[in-house]
Amino acid sequence: MKRTRLISKHWMLFLSAVAMIAAASPAQAANYEVGSCIASLPKFTTIQLAVNSVPPGSTILVCPATYYEQVTISRPLTLRGADVNNQDRPVIAAPPNGLAINVTSITGSNVAAQVLVQNVAPPGNVILTGITVDGSSAEVQGCSFSAELAGIFYASGTAGTINEMTTRNQQLPSCGYGIWIENGAGSNQSITVENNSVHDVSWRGIFAFSNQTPSTLATTIKGNFVNGLVYNQTNDIDAQGITGAITGNVVTGGLVGISSGANPGTPLTISGNDVADISIGVGIAITDVTTVSSNKISNVYTAFAFGGSGVSPGPTVTGNTAKNTTYVIGYNCTPNVTVKANTFNDSEFGFDHVPAANSGLGVNAIYNIDTVQTSTCP
Amino acid sequence: MSRNLAWFFSAVVMLAVSAPLQALNYEVGGCKTGSSYVNFTTISAAVTGVPAGATIQICPGVYPEQVTITQPLTLKGIASGNANRAVITFNPNGNLAPNVTSVLGLGSAFYAQVLVQNVNPAGSVNFVGITVDGSGINPGGSTNLAGIFYASGTSGTINEVTARNQTAGYFGGFGIWVENGSSTNDTLTIENNSLHNQVGGIWAQVQPPSTLTTTVNGNFLSNIGGNEILIAANSGISGGISGNVVTSSPYGSGPAIFTQGALVVSGNTVADVSEGIGPFFATSVKSNKLSNVGTGIQFQCCEAVPLASNTIMNTVCAIDFYGGASSSGPISGNVINDAQYGFAEWSGPTITGNSLYNVDTIQTTSSPCP
Repeated sequence: MKRTRLISKHWMLFLSAVAMIAAASPAQAANYEVGSCIASLPKFTTIQLAVNSVPPGSTILVCPATYYEQVTISRPLTLRGADVNNQDRPVIAAPPNGLAINVTSITGSNVAAQVLVQNVAPPGNVILTGITVDGSSAEVQGCSFSAELAGIFYASGTAGTINEMTTRNQQLPSCGYGIWIENGAGSNQSITVENNSVHDVSWRGIFAFSNQTPSTLATTIKGNFVNGLVYNQTNDIDAQGITGAITGNVVTGGLVGISSGANPGTPLTISGNDVADISIGVGIAITDVTTVSSNKISNVYTAFAFGGSGVSPGPTVTGNTAKNTTYVIGYNCTPNVTVKANTFNDSEFGFDHVPAANSGLGVNAIYNIDTVQTSTCP
Repeated sequence: MSRNLAWFFSAVVMLAVSAPLQALNYEVGGCKTGSSYVNFTTISAAVTGVPAGATIQICPGVYPEQVTITQPLTLKGIASGNANRAVITFNPNGNLAPNVTSVLGLGSAFYAQVLVQNVNPAGSVNFVGITVDGSGINPGGSTNLAGIFYASGTSGTINEVTARNQTAGYFGGFGIWVENGSSTNDTLTIENNSLHNQVGGIWAQVQPPSTLTTTVNGNFLSNIGGNEILIAANSGISGGISGNVVTSSPYGSGPAIFTQGALVVSGNTVADVSEGIGPFFATSVKSNKLSNVGTGIQFQCCEAVPLASNTIMNTVCAIDFYGGASSSGPISGNVINDAQYGFAEWSGPTITGNSLYNVDTIQTTSSPCP
């Protein structure tokens, strides 16, 4: 009898715990849907209504369809595309009456963001997965360098992950951004941008920015496929003032493949990327970045271009391969870099405007370069 | 002790006598001089003038000649001063007659800028760091053009070579053409080269029952109108196609990488082309990255080719079963993001085990692919 009572007591405790979890679950981790493709879930008719209504930490599944709306997310949650009935593409598109400017960047620009993550409370991650953000036919009143269009915008003070998204057709003249993430003064933030497809964007494919020294934005930009528009001068990936890694991306087209600037001494690694088909521009533009390694650059005008402060120690460029270029490296007279153990094949010019002192030009494997060094620096 | 010393001196004398012969270097172009160098003014003169197995260093410069190599050797481009490109170009004073006939494939005459043929004694012919430029060559008639042509019965390595501007020819111009219809087992390694502006990039073919082991690794190809890499045979092919970067043929015809042979196609990056990979009878297709392609991977028959861990983004059709082609190879672990169609022209059971995102229509029996 005594043994039976003990078991019963434990059993009651167990049941109580189960009941507590069951009661808590709907509020803390429930699933919701936008549209009507999953019978068992609470439904919303628009994405904006859903993100305004669900408890923090929720997961919202978005049914395949086109949603003509501008979405602002201000609580931690996951927005995920659903796979139903042979379809797997929910699209967020510009509403018929155009996009409103809904955020001011720390760059000072006014931005019309199709999906805006801002003022997230309570603090937590906003995760976007498996949704297309399409800027086709988007109209932003006053679009210029001071009023810009972004597919996804993570404003200062926000964090999260953008994974397996598609952003496309943000291409109003000179002001289209696929993904824009930034952080200014305040607490450090971490944002991961991975495995996304970004294309037909006129100005920046992926733009990551911090204006603080040291940087307040830790970013991983990984495994994305970005295809830029050459005649719209796209920078496919533009990372300025951030810390972290840009790795394993496939970047083609546009004017600059990866444009990068870090605060001197801030670790930023650019590695294992494929950059190609930039006929009039630069593969990787480097300013005070820590390490540029194991990238493959081909069919570009200039594989690498240096700029920036020239402080010592500067970036190390090693283990990269560049082929079919007009220039391998545009030094722009930048000293204190290190260029060694790279392989360069098939270029009209090798190293342009190499500084007279402290060039850091080490031993590289060089094949089929018409003129190895050209244009000296004063 | 004295006797040993005498033997020692004898040995030194023998080495001293033989050393100049064994240590000779061969160069073309005149940038290397001195008693240890034998100089040639043309590459053609060098490849017939050196002993078998020699390495010939080619100085930077332009060499307007058509070269035929019939003995094992290595042709290596070198740097001199501020220059580092030795270019074999069209000889305007030569003729445009074909110098080799393919034993298979297109079955026609070729004008080969560099021809490797009837190598005797048997051995490898290797190229390192030279450029073969086909600008201005239009052989006319039914003749094709090839930058480097390895004829039946030859083997070797092509490494860090540039082949460019082979655009003219009856069926077109080819950067590197390799074939075997002989009784020997040929082995070709084609690695780390830069090829661009051709109709065909790297083409290797074999006529069964001949055999050819081909490794195509780490090459960069762009702006090629037809198949950028083609390895063709119903049997007799082995090797692999890996780590290549193949881009920028938006109006090309045929898959950028096409193989009929029992090859592993892995770790390649394919972008900005109309069709990505045609894995006709490949052993497997895995861990490739394809983006901005009209069709990612296209089956054409009845293959049993496993597709695994490939990533396909920004495409009309991610995987196409052309004309209702079938495939019994497992298709799993692939990631497709941003496609109008996931699996096109497919009427079989639902394909599962892959990760799909942003796909308008996951599976269709229709043929919507470009």
